[in-house]
Amino acid sequence: MDIQLKRGLLDICVLAAIREQDSYGYKIIKDMKPYIELSESTLYTILKRLEAADMLTVRTAEHEGRLRKYYRITAGGISRIEEFKKDWKEIVSIYNFVTKEDADND
Amino acid sequence: MTKKIFLEKLENGLSGLPREDIQEKIAFYSEMIDDKMEDGKTEQEAVSETGSVEDIVSQLASVTPLKKLVKEKIRPVHKLGALEITLIVLGFPLWFPLIVAVAAVVLSLYVSVWAVVISLWAVVLSLFTGFIGGLAGAVVFAVQDRPLSAGILLSSAIILSGLAIFMFLGCKALSRGLAAGTKKAVIRLKSSLIRKGRSQ
Repeated sequence: MDIQLKRGLLDICVLAAIREQDSYGYKIIKDMKPYIELSESTLYTILKRLEAADMLTVRTAEHEGRLRKYYRITAGGISRIEEFKKDWKEIVSIYNFVTKEDADND
Repeated sequence: MTKKIFLEKLENGLSGLPREDIQEKIAFYSEMIDDKMEDGKTEQEAVSETGSVEDIVSQLASVTPLKKLVKEKIRPVHKLGALEITLIVLGFPLWFPLIVAVAAVVLSLYVSVWAVVISLWAVVLSLFTGFIGGLAGAVVFAVQDRPLSAGILLSSAIILSGLAIFMFLGCKALSRGLAAGTKKAVIRLKSSLIRKGRSQ
């Protein structure tokens, strides 16, 4: 897949993984695993990028005597997901158009 | 490998980055390994799943801007003394032309490689032009009812078109390869900046 496209899609996936409730690194990867594999280094750069873009906030909390970072989605992050859903409809209709001829030829 | 050794290796590998950046990344991977162990994995498994330090470094290199890395590299570790500043200023006529010369040599080597590629593209273009010319000539001779000349021109045009296609594919592959090579070289350069750290 085109790298830029994939990068954008992974951003949305990570936002979706923290939409319902705050989450932490390992849980994000685990939640996404049935759908898409994400390496830890990739997740790290995505989280940094989303934080810089004000789409999520980070807080550190204690867990079992050690520190863990929790990520919370912001209003900006939520609207990014909504934007993607709208874009997606357009992409699907483009896809339908592109594959129309294949179906006709079958 | 134990978590402790892995994190030490990682810290070494990232030594070219700003202090706080290194701490943050170490904390991230440390938390990751702890969470995996809490999830029932052994320390060994948790660490090996995290991947190699080299992979982490090159992944970081591909997303960190070169400017940031160079800035960190040239930042002096300690405050410069009066003597050092004087030496740097007095040495300016020496080190400045040297840096410029080295940069110019590297740049000119790179440009000359591209120049070869561009000249090969020019050959493709001229072959194609020859093909069009041959075709037009063949038509003219055919109209003038000189079949032999028309035939010769037509066959040369076909030969030229074959060569043009052949070279076009070669040039395309070469240009792509060179562009990919450039990208790789930049990532390698950045990786080495992240890895080696400050010179002093």
